[in-house]
Order: sequence, then C-alpha cells, then structure tokens
Amino acid sequence: MIKITNLTKRYKTVSALDNVSLEIKGGEFFGLLGPNGAGKSTMMNLLAGYLDADGGHIEYSEEKIDRDSMEVRKKFGLVPQTIALYEELSAEANLKIFGSLYLIPQKELKEIIKEKLNMVELYERRKDLVKNFSGGMKRRLNMVASMLHNPEVLLCDEPTVGVDPQSRNAIFDFLQKINEEGMTVIYTTHYMEEAERLCKNIAIIDEGKIIAKGTVDELISLLPYCEEIYISKNADTSGKIDPLKTSVEITENADKYEIKLKKGILLSEFFKTIESSGINYNYIDFHKPTLEELFLNLTGRRLRD
Amino acid sequence: MKIILNLIVKEYILFFKDKVALTLTFIVPVVLIFIFGQVFGGGGSDVRKIHLGFINKSNAPVAQKLEKTLDTSKAFVLIKKTKNESGEMVLFDTNSLKKNIKSGNISSGLVIPENAYTDTSSGLRLIYYFDPKNDIETQFVQGMLQQIIMQQVPELFNQGMQVQSEKYLGKEKGNEFNRDIAKSVGKYFNIDTSEILSRDLNKKNETEKNSGGFNFFENIVNIEKVQLVGKDIANPMATRSVGGWAMMFLLFTITGASSSLFDEKKNGVMLRILSSPVSRTQILWSKYLYNMSLGIIQLTVLFITGALLFNIDILSNVFNLLIVVISASAACTGFGMLLSSFSKTSAQANGYGTVFILTMSAIGGAWFPVSFMPAIIQFFSKFTIVYWAVEGFLAVLWRGADFGGIWQYAAVLLGMALVINIISIWNFRKGNVF
Repeated sequence: MIKITNLTKRYKTVSALDNVSLEIKGGEFFGLLGPNGAGKSTMMNLLAGYLDADGGHIEYSEEKIDRDSMEVRKKFGLVPQTIALYEELSAEANLKIFGSLYLIPQKELKEIIKEKLNMVELYERRKDLVKNFSGGMKRRLNMVASMLHNPEVLLCDEPTVGVDPQSRNAIFDFLQKINEEGMTVIYTTHYMEEAERLCKNIAIIDEGKIIAKGTVDELISLLPYCEEIYISKNADTSGKIDPLKTSVEITENADKYEIKLKKGILLSEFFKTIESSGINYNYIDFHKPTLEELFLNLTGRRLRD
Repeated sequence: MKIILNLIVKEYILFFKDKVALTLTFIVPVVLIFIFGQVFGGGGSDVRKIHLGFINKSNAPVAQKLEKTLDTSKAFVLIKKTKNESGEMVLFDTNSLKKNIKSGNISSGLVIPENAYTDTSSGLRLIYYFDPKNDIETQFVQGMLQQIIMQQVPELFNQGMQVQSEKYLGKEKGNEFNRDIAKSVGKYFNIDTSEILSRDLNKKNETEKNSGGFNFFENIVNIEKVQLVGKDIANPMATRSVGGWAMMFLLFTITGASSSLFDEKKNGVMLRILSSPVSRTQILWSKYLYNMSLGIIQLTVLFITGALLFNIDILSNVFNLLIVVISASAACTGFGMLLSSFSKTSAQANGYGTVFILTMSAIGGAWFPVSFMPAIIQFFSKFTIVYWAVEGFLAVLWRGADFGGIWQYAAVLLGMALVINIISIWNFRKGNVF
C-alpha cells in the first residue's frame, strides 16, 4: 500500500502540493484527476523519488520514498508525460539502455524486451528509429520502457496526451490488462472520461489540494443532484414549462431548459409532473452527471479551463 | 514589400530574444578583437620584455657596453642568475644556462665568451643558445639582438681599429691610416669622414640610431647560433601547434557533450533515469567519465593523425604524452561540467562555452605564443586550461621532457580539474539541472 501523508511541495512561492494525504491499495487502478497545473505531475515525481517533499512523506509498504530511496525505486516504474526516449536510437536500443539501469542481465533483458514489444505490437518495428514512429507508437514504447523491470507500481503521468483514439484505446487495454495481472497503476489525467473508464478509485486534485476522493459513484454522489434533464426549448415546450417550476429548479439556456433533479425527488413523481404539463417525451433528454460536473460544482471551473 | 519588411522585423525580434546569438554576434568578436589587438601591438605600453638568459665572460669594453645596452633595452630582461642545487641564486654558467633553456624556463640565452673581443680580434663573437618552441619569438629575439649590436659595434670596431693601427704603425701613421680607412668607408657608404673618426663609445647620434646601424660591419659580428631543443624534430611547425589546436577542439567537444544534460532534462529522459535506481551522483560521475574518456580518445586520434600526416613524433615519449592528455581531458571535462552547472539551457551553455573557449584559446597560447602578449594577458593566461595544456604538450613533444619536466603541468591541470569539479558539484546540488 502507498501511504501519502500531509505531502507538501513548493516551487519558490507557488505551492504545487498542499498537505495532501492519500492511501492507494496494492493492485488498485487509481486515478488522479485534475486540470493542468493542479499538481498531478509533481505528485508523480514525488512518488517516483525524483523530487523531495518540503513537508510530509510517502511510504510504500513501510519503505520511505524520497530522492535517496534507491531500493523502493526498483518497485516503481514511471511513464513520463513527455516522450522520454532517445529519438535517434532504435526502439530496441532505447529499451536496452533503460533496462540496463535496473541491472537486468543481458540475456534476460533481451527476452523481456521481446515480450514487452510484442505486448504493445512494436516488436516488428524494434529496429526502427524512434524518430520515425507515429505519436501513438512512441507513447506505447514510452510506456513499456518504464516496465522492463516488472514494477509493482506503474505511475502513468498523462500517458495519452496527443494520441489518436485508436492508440488511446490500445493503451487503455494494455493498462487494464497489466492491472488485472496484479500491477498497481496510478494514472493522472485531465480527461474525466479516462478516469471514469479506467480507475476504480479517483482523487480529484486542484491547486495542489485533494478536493474529493472515492469511487466514481461515490464522487458523483457528492453532487447535490442525481440526474440532469434537458428539455428542448421550442414553440411546443415553452408554454408548458412553467408548471414544472413549482417542483424543480429550471435553468433556461438559449436552446434548452436544464433541470438538475435534486436528491430525494423520485423520478416517477417528476415524470408525473411532466405528463401533466403536456410536454412530449421526445423533447426530453436524460443525462447522468459526470466527474466534469462534479469538478465544476466543486471549483466553479471546468477541468480543461 | 511590406510583407518582406514585416518578416525582417520578425527576424530582428527573434534575434534580440536569442541571447546566444547576440553573444556570438557581438560579444565574442569584440573580445577577440580586443585580444588580437593586445597581441599584435594595439595594447601599447605594457608589452612584456622577453626574458633572455645572459652570461658575460669578457672584460672587453665592447662586451661591457653590449651588456649595458641590453640591460637597458626595452625589449629584454636579462636573466643572469639561477638557483643552484642548494637553492642559492648564482650567476649562470654555460651549462646551467643551457639546462634552463632545455627545461623551458627561458627560451633563449646570449653568451659573450671570454674571447669575444680582443685587441687582435677582427670582430665580435657571441654565442646565442635558443629553443625555437615559439618560432616567432625566436626570430624576434634574434632580430632585436642584431639591431642592438649593430647600433653599438661600429663604434667599438672603429675604436679598436684606431687602437690597433696606433699600436702597430705609431700614432702619426696610425692616424693617417685611420683617415684613409675612414675616407674609403665614407666614399663607399656615403658617410661623413669626421663622424667616423670622432665616434665615442659613450655617445650615440640619432642618425645612427635611426638608420638601423652600419650594415657594412655586419660581417665582423659573429653570432654563433646553437639550437638546444627540437633539432631532430621532423616537422617543427606542426609539432609546436598541434597541442593548441587539439585543446581548442577538445573544449568544444566536451562543452557540447556536457550540455547533453539539458537535452535529457528537456525530453524527460533525465526524469526517467532518475526514477530508476540511479542517483544524481552516479549520473554526474557517468557524464564526467564519459566526457573525459571522449576527450582522451579525441586527443589520441588528433595526435595519431598528426603523427601520420605531419611526422609528429608521439611514440618516443608516449607515456608522458598520455599523462598530459589525461590531465588536459580531466580539466576540460571539469570546464564543460562547470558550464552546464551554471547554465539554464543547452543553448546558453554552448553560447557561453564558445566565448570562453575562444578567449582561453587566444590568451592561452593555442593560436600564438603567450610570450608575445602583454603582461596583463600573460598574467590571465596562466588561469586558463589551454595555457597549461599547451605548455605540457610542448614539453612532451618539443622538448622531449621526462616526467620530471611535465609533472608541474599535469599537476596544475589536475588541480584545476579538482577545483572546477568541486564548484560544479556544489552548483549542481543547488542548481536546476536536476
């Protein structure tokens, strides 16, 4: 288990992490969701032992993680946000270099490289220079370069930035597979769809602080409403909306009415009201709240603002 | 046209934002112009006198006069003493003078032998020992010596002739003989007879000084030139210059290699490496040893190329050459690491590197002899890696020095490497590269 206690990191006067505490269980697929500049990469760099904290500490199975903790680093793998590869070298040469840092014997390393490249469908391109790879291929190689030593924990810092949907799905499948095989994955992103799809537990981070954490359902339940209902704004509906205002709060937009159904209101009662108002069901659209709405609700900003 | 103008403006905006381009465009040329100006005479008053070993064994007035003239010369500082084995300062003898020249302490020496000028002499005999490690300096010294001697000897020779003619012909016939000789000289060389006859050892006239002396007396000054060092060297020019050029290229190579730290940081590879079980100290050591080994390989290749193309003898003193190569590489690597530790980007490191490398090469003796430079530049040249490396290579390749003759260069270079590395590590620890 990774235990983060009162973690603080400052860059000059800017507080990148402010008294953050988290617990991540072994084998979990844990997401750290937040906008750019929220402190996600700083958290990953601290977990990877690249940085020292200004306050608090991180422990992995009771071993402290900091810049001097060499042993615990062998159990972690970091997939950096950037393509951290030597572009002028082949895929295979890159992996040989990064594998050698873990003192993996040559013969064994060769086998591992073959296995990992096959997993991300790059084995046939192993002799090609990285600079000739597509963005998606580079991302996949960037990922396996961090896993040659079979880490117990994989830290993925926004590994799908700039990747096409097809490669993104391939990366997701790959990560889910290794997680199912027992590897703990800590995944940072500012795409709530990614967090929702991949992560069992999520912490939402903003301005260096954890503002919410839990499963997706637990997080959504933090919203003061459980359902969003949109009613198209047109000649048919505009005269019939007023009776609804007595039972629910309605926000009027240019093309639709937005209704956030508060907890405690039964959906069946709401439908009865709709029916009695005479609004045609074809104009009604139901929408389940997302983490994006939660973030907006908690901070007043959107994730990608 | 408007578009072209806008594009030009854009180019200037980008140019003035680029500190490296600015440095290379303006600061580097200005620094180099200043240095070249100092070296080739623009520096004016404080050009250093050349140190010339000197022994005067003769009691002849001409010898005394010559010594006095050289003593007061603006071109030379006469070195007449050296330390003996017990550390006392004693006058040079011929052996100790030669030893000092061979060991590189001084580059040349003038000996006025006991029999330099006697009553029966037909001319003045001098012995000039030299080490032409700096060809320009050697030629300069010889030229200055000739000029000074030529300005003095005609008078002395004339007096000598008068004395001898009086001795052998008697005063009256002697005077007549002198007048006839003076008439002949005056006729052929268009000189006033009375001037020749009235010459006084202790007086000079301006005409004579400015005319550069009476060249017709040149034959009577016999300077025996004895080259003490480098006689057997097949290609003196290449042997003298290879060290300097090699050092300049080595510094460029090492600076480029050291700044790879920035590239690795920028593309995230440094983060990847440091998230594996690798410490910052291990990274610094690997960079240092890689750069140093690269430097050793580069210097070795350059010297082998010099041996193959220019007949530079690298094999007869290969052990000592290797010592200087290793020491120079260590110091250059330290320099590269220091630059990286103080810079914020690769471009900045390379820009500053270019300024320092060209400056160090210019004042350190890579391009022209340090002894030719003003005293102030000579003072600063001793703070450069290039100076000590070039001197070390000269000691090995030119003088064929043994370990006793090169250890001081190696020690200074290794000392520089140590100090620079301590500063670099201290700076890396508090800096932003890692």
